[in-house]
Amino acid sequence: MRDIKIQVNDLSLYYGEKKALNNISMQIPANKVTALIGPSGCGKSTFLRCINRMNDLIPSVKITGEMLVEGVDIYDKNVDVVNIRKKIGMVFQKSNPFPKSIYENVAYGPRINGLKDKTQLDEIVETSLRQAAIWDEFKDRLDDSALGLSGGQQQRLCIARTLAVSPDIILMDEPASALDPISTSKIEELVHELKEQYTIIIVTHNMQQAARTSDHTAFFYMGELIEMGKTNAIFTKPEKKQTEDYITGRFG
Amino acid sequence: MTHFEMELEKLKDVIKKIGNLAVSQVGESVKALLFEPIEGKEVKKTEMKIDKLDVKIDEICQSIFALQQPVASDLRFIMASLQISNEIERIGDLAVSVIKRAKNIKEKHDLISKFEIVDLAKEVELITAKANECLSTQDEKTISEILTLKKSIKSKGDIIIEHIIEEMKAHSKVVVSGTNLVIALKHLERISDHCSNIAEYVYFMVNAKIIKHEKHEDLNIDKLE
Repeated sequence: MRDIKIQVNDLSLYYGEKKALNNISMQIPANKVTALIGPSGCGKSTFLRCINRMNDLIPSVKITGEMLVEGVDIYDKNVDVVNIRKKIGMVFQKSNPFPKSIYENVAYGPRINGLKDKTQLDEIVETSLRQAAIWDEFKDRLDDSALGLSGGQQQRLCIARTLAVSPDIILMDEPASALDPISTSKIEELVHELKEQYTIIIVTHNMQQAARTSDHTAFFYMGELIEMGKTNAIFTKPEKKQTEDYITGRFG
Repeated sequence: MTHFEMELEKLKDVIKKIGNLAVSQVGESVKALLFEPIEGKEVKKTEMKIDKLDVKIDEICQSIFALQQPVASDLRFIMASLQISNEIERIGDLAVSVIKRAKNIKEKHDLISKFEIVDLAKEVELITAKANECLSTQDEKTISEILTLKKSIKSKGDIIIEHIIEEMKAHSKVVVSGTNLVIALKHLERISDHCSNIAEYVYFMVNAKIIKHEKHEDLNIDKLE
């Protein structure tokens, strides 16, 4: 892999005594989509949350090893976690718009970062909604409440909200698992388009979604990274038997 | 067993059936060529059965693709099954053509013994049996034997055909029988080609490597012998 965005070295994570991630080492390429797959409890979401230090919020968590984003260890004590989360946006399984208008949802991030200029805010809102492919749907109803939108629209609004603070990396934790096939396909299409500008890491239980959307796939099992490779190789000829068993549904 | 695994088992069963029928058709065609012309009724019936199973394999594969989205070894098995059933169906057709040609070879006894056709015909029977066998065993040694047999059949066939042509040049009365024999031998050679294609698809199924259109000397499987 030529252009590495994230280099993970020997990363382990403990919830109290329990080791939930076991010496993970991997490289995540820039401007590609990397899918994390594996059964429930395998550590893929925990790993995803390590990438923007979301696990800091859990008191019992201890992390060892390195998570280098563009060469900088984000767990270094001199690193500002707020800056990290600005740079590394996240979209969750359940869409979580603020109880505000569509416009305010997208403008929220830039606003709390100190931007007050209305013209600039308008511009950011439009660009973000365009990037999230929902500008045409929303442009005439920017003042409507985000809570009145459908699940799929809410999720795409959350993606636009993430894009508004110009991150480099977008983490997606099961972004389409609660959506119907049409909304799912819109999100997947969006992921394809966004990778031109962003590095995307997506956790999904839907194997076909991983196959359709990602360039690389990493298979996690019981806190270990079993195999990582090009998605085409993982889904046609995985090297490890555990991966083969999982993707063909013969696990356990 | 999951529903998906049951579908795969069903596919394996049908491939086994169609493979056995092809072996029996080739056996009949060799009998017809080496010994006496045989009644076409049974052969025709078997041919129809093969055609039906070929369509059934297409239907099962289509349904698995649409409903189960197979990946990895399952995907390769289904892709290979589609190709293999096509090869087997062609083997069946060629066997019937050999039987038809055999009826028009009047000086059969003389020609067959003169040109050592028995060995060649037995090798074609053997390669078909081995192709059928490797469908279930997926054994690389058998694949290698098939690829070697194919070469042997081709070189034997070329020499025999050359001799038959010489014979036809010298004795015009054998031209009709000779021509039919040459065509029948070419059909047998094509049968062995289809058998080696089957072996290549089985190799792909097991190793995820496409080896068709390759010189098999480059492959490790030749070294298994």
